[in-house]
Amino acid sequence: MELSESVQRGFQTLADPGSFDSNAFALLLRAAFQSLLDAQADEAVLDHPDLKHIDPVVLKYCHAAAATYILEAGKHRADKSTLSTFLEDCKFDRERIELFCTEYQNNKNSLESLLESIGRSLPHITDVSWRLEYQIKTNQLHKMYRPAYLVTLNVENTDSQSYPEISFSCNMEQLQDLVGKLKDASKSLERATQL
Amino acid sequence: MLLDLSEEHKEHLAFLPRVDGAVVAEFGRIAVESLRRGSNPKIYDGAARKLNVSSDTVQHGVEGLTYLLTESSKLMISELDFQDSVFVLGFSEELNKLLLQLYLDNRKEIRTILNELAPDLPTYHSLEWRLDVQLASRSLRQQIKPAVTFKLHLNHNGDHSTKVLQTDPATLLHLVQQLEQALEEMKTNHCRRVVRNIK
Repeated sequence: MELSESVQRGFQTLADPGSFDSNAFALLLRAAFQSLLDAQADEAVLDHPDLKHIDPVVLKYCHAAAATYILEAGKHRADKSTLSTFLEDCKFDRERIELFCTEYQNNKNSLESLLESIGRSLPHITDVSWRLEYQIKTNQLHKMYRPAYLVTLNVENTDSQSYPEISFSCNMEQLQDLVGKLKDASKSLERATQL
Repeated sequence: MLLDLSEEHKEHLAFLPRVDGAVVAEFGRIAVESLRRGSNPKIYDGAARKLNVSSDTVQHGVEGLTYLLTESSKLMISELDFQDSVFVLGFSEELNKLLLQLYLDNRKEIRTILNELAPDLPTYHSLEWRLDVQLASRSLRQQIKPAVTFKLHLNHNGDHSTKVLQTDPATLLHLVQQLEQALEEMKTNHCRRVVRNIK
């Protein structure tokens, strides 16, 4: 993990009981996790009466440093010993190291979920709807008398947050072909997971 | 059901008894070709010269024949109805038989062509698939995230298009289940009854 100087300085400040007493430290730590993981969090996350006595510039600087480190640690799946080593290097005392590691452990799953969901991917199929119809006639062709399916795939685009749909029609043979291929993929997946 | 032939149509068809059977058969072939590929005026000129008539007459003859064949195919009229409809034209027994044969021989293909004229959604052509496992991304390392990638091939009005899509294992199982249910529907009593009774 490569960490910038400003992150390291931020943590050195966080380690200092003169700048952050135990209560303030715990609050800032919680605020850092909240800003990252709570969708509703806003700037008011640092507006706590027990943090009012600290210079707002210092507060923001340390908050940013903590958030940056938390993301890096999450990205690299840091374990407790990695965290401890870093915090010890920043001159954290035992109590603060324990607190940080506990908070991290509690939020680890949410953090990893969040990081996993960030990124580009292909349009993702989320659902399928189908309609079966019996075709009788068109203005060009009478006496058709055959079944047809209309299939709609619901698709999600992760980056553009759009939800286009893909619709197509098919007859019975074509639908059987489609289902056959989907089952092949599914069986292949099952076999792969058993390896 | 009898075909309703307009006076103009009957006039155009009146050219047919003036040429022999082989020519009518040839016109029939040109008629179906023109449905598939569009008409070619040069063909009419060539035929007009050989038969010693105007190009327009040939064109009307072929067009009349085309319309006769497409209307009959569209309505899927029975042999008997076709014969009765053509009877009013007062043609020879031989010509009537030839026309009936032309109808029966080309009906299936004409119906296929007419089918393509209907308002249409893209139709399924085929599906390719691939299993992928995502191992890492810029935002998270050490992942094991299985996914299935598809390439869906569709046809629309002659154009071939492809869509590349992805899904996760759980959704894949859901897709299979839902579409299998769709296939099962055709076998239910309700659908069987509809198919049996609407003819």
